[in-house]
Parts: sequence; C-alpha cells; structure tokens
Amino acid sequence: MSHAPTDLSGVRRPLSQANGLPNAHYVDPGVFAEERDALLFATWAGLAVTADVPEPGDAVPIDFLGLPLLLLRDKAGEVRVFQNICRHRGMILVDAPRKIEGAIRCPYHSWCYGTDGRLVSTPHVGGPGHNTHDAIQRSELGLIEVRSHVWRDVVWINVSGDAPAFEEVMAPAMARWAEFEQPLYHGGDDSRFELEIACNWKLAVENYCESYHLPWVHPGLNSYSRLEDHYHIEAPGAFSGQGTLVYRQITNETGNSFPDFDGLSVKWDTAAEYLSIFPNVLLGTHRDHAFAIVLVPHGPDRTVEHVHLYYAVPDTDSGLRQRNTRQWKTVFEEDIFVVEGMQRGRHATGFDGGRFSPAMDGPTHLFHDWVAARMEAHRARPRAAE
Amino acid sequence: MTGLGSDMMIDLDTRLLDAHAADDRRELVALYAEAADSANDLDAACFYLTHAYVFALETGHPRATHLHKALCRHGRDH
Repeated sequence: MSHAPTDLSGVRRPLSQANGLPNAHYVDPGVFAEERDALLFATWAGLAVTADVPEPGDAVPIDFLGLPLLLLRDKAGEVRVFQNICRHRGMILVDAPRKIEGAIRCPYHSWCYGTDGRLVSTPHVGGPGHNTHDAIQRSELGLIEVRSHVWRDVVWINVSGDAPAFEEVMAPAMARWAEFEQPLYHGGDDSRFELEIACNWKLAVENYCESYHLPWVHPGLNSYSRLEDHYHIEAPGAFSGQGTLVYRQITNETGNSFPDFDGLSVKWDTAAEYLSIFPNVLLGTHRDHAFAIVLVPHGPDRTVEHVHLYYAVPDTDSGLRQRNTRQWKTVFEEDIFVVEGMQRGRHATGFDGGRFSPAMDGPTHLFHDWVAARMEAHRARPRAAE
Repeated sequence: MTGLGSDMMIDLDTRLLDAHAADDRRELVALYAEAADSANDLDAACFYLTHAYVFALETGHPRATHLHKALCRHGRDH
C-alpha cells in the first residue's frame, strides 16, 4: 500500500453520527486495489451466472478485476471457475466465449487440459515426439481452480481461497429466503441485459439497498408503491436491502401473469424483497419471478451490471417476459444518472462522505460499516501475511 | 516435413497447410495421422502422431484414444 490509509473512524460511528466512506474509496486507484483484495477477493463475490454456460463444454473468459478467469461447465455438467492460464508459460487459454469440444488446448505450445482442469497432454515436452518428461508431473500442473459456489444461479467465487464456507457466510440470506429455495429458470436471451455505468461499484450497491430515493427517482412507482409501503432489511455483516408490501404482478394483454413459485406463504402474495448481498450481488425476489444483478468492477469509476431474470417454470410467455425485462430495465436505467452523479460528486474536495438519514439510510450505512470493518481488518493483518 | 517420399510429402504438406489455413482441426487429425503412417522413422512418426493426438483431444475426435495408445506403445506418452 503506497498511499496513506483512509480514515474510516467516521464511518464506524453509529448511524446518526456517521459519515459515509471518504471520496478516495470511489476515485483512488490505490484504494480500489485495496478494496479488491479486502472486499472482493477475500469474500464470496459474484462472478457470473450458470446460465452463461448452459451446456457442457461452454466456456466464457472473464476479466475479474484484472484476474483472468475461465467460467466453464465441465463434461459432467458441473460449473467451475479456473484461472485462465496455461501452467507452462502463463498464456491465456481461452480468449473468447466458445464451446470446448474435447480438451482446452493452449494456443502457444498446445498443452491440453480437460474441462475438469486436469493436464492431459504435454506435446514434445521431452523433445520432438516425446510427450512426457520426469520433471513434468501432469498431476501437479492442472488448471488453477478458483473456489466457487452456485446459489440462486449466481456463480460466487472466493479468490483468496480462505473465506469461511459459503453456506456459513450466506446463512442469513439463505434463511431469509428459504421459501424460494427451489429451481430458478433463466428466461433466456430476452431476460438478460447489461448496463455499463460510469461509477464505482459500491454506489450501485448503495443505491440498490435503500428505498429513500424511490419516490424521487422512480416516480412511476408512486401510484402503487409508496415510500411508506417499504421496509428496511438489515443483516449486519451480510446484506442490507429493502422490501415492499404492495408488489403487483405484471400481466399481459389478456390478464395472464407468470406462474408463482411453489408453496409460498401468504406474505409473499404482495411482498417483494431486494437484497444487496455484500460485496457485489444484487438480488430481487417476488412471488412469480426473481432477478440477479452481478456488478463487475472495471476500475474505480466504471462498472458493468449484468442483469438476469428468472421464473418459476421453464416455459413462460415470451411477450410477458419481454415486458417484464423492459419494465426492470427502465427502473434500473432511471438509477444511472444518480450513481454517475454521485461518482462525479466524489471529486468534490469538500465532501466528507456525507451524512445519513437516521430514519431512512440504515441499510446504506450498514454497507459502509461492512466495508470499513473489512478494510480495517485487512490493514491490520501482519505484513508478512501479504 | 521430414521423412516422407517427395511427391507424397508435397501433396500432404499442401493439404496440411490448407487445413491449418482453414483452421479445420478435425481434418488435421486425419492429415497428421496420415503423415505419421507415411513417416520413415519412429521419431518423425511420433512427432506427427503427437500432433494428430493433440488435435483429436481438442476436438473430442473419436480417434483420440487410438492415437494415444499408439504413442504409449512407443513409449512417447503415458
């Protein structure tokens, strides 16, 4: 760490007295790198969704904060994440999404790997026509696998490899939405879109987890979903978000709606919830559909939101799906000027991180406090451990 | 390319270059196997056999197992 550490003491104060995160956490490349290690590599972060690799052999290279990764579904159908490099000379193995028909062949010297990561061929490694050498043990030179876990179709990864078990970390969120632990069916091409936004990834998290802005930024919701119909969701150290008590199903021109998930309690007839799962996954659930947004940071001031919508059954009405996608896209696009405006605002030298509404900003402060706590813990580690 | 008769070499060399240019990897399996069969010495044969095997592995070609066994038989793989 070459820069002076940011002062996070103001963030750690109680909500009514706290400041938000200092500007540097949004604009400084050094702090961005610190946060990469402390917040995104050391935790369970969202990388993609399994719907990105629907069939065995499907492979997608992903640059995750500069780390070249390969998301693939192996021949047995399991979704895996590897570092996208050959163990020989560190060459990038797969440079565009494609189907692996047999093995992954390095384009440089043609070392080959199975979709399960095993090194299966080392051509000419012992000289021309000699494909073995005592010094090259294939069993020790498989692809470097990144710890991963699938929940709600999101592929979560722990790059550092030493985070507590996923089920342990996510237990509060899993318990909250236990009724929705049932198959999710991705709506397909009409149910995915990306938004490139010129802001730090945390601003997208912060905006998503609070309802305070809804009547101002999403006036279309006022007619049926007023501010007072929302409630805060706060799980310190895990997630924060908001819920609504007046969710109304979308219908098509003949009045039909999507089928419900099975066996939901009465609460969900009109409730819907939206969780920011720290660090970078935004989830929503309703009686009849769900969505996942994976935020992939591409620098201190650039983020891509990968949005995916899911349903309770595999075959839903295409027109209705498209209408639902349009509706959500409109809502998420309405947020862009806000997060980009806050990003520009973070260059104001007089901004002290801001103050929170004690009544309305609890979920936002909870996220800031999580960031600050993890950063402090990261900075307190012995240097030898880095 | 070494170890082949000259006419055959020119013809096969051309077909190999064409297959590489077209990035036709399944055709490369057949052509390198053919080159291996036509080679005059074991080292050259195993060189081509290796290429046939690698492209067979990559493409999930059914000949991969047979090619691998051939390399193992000559002590060139395991």
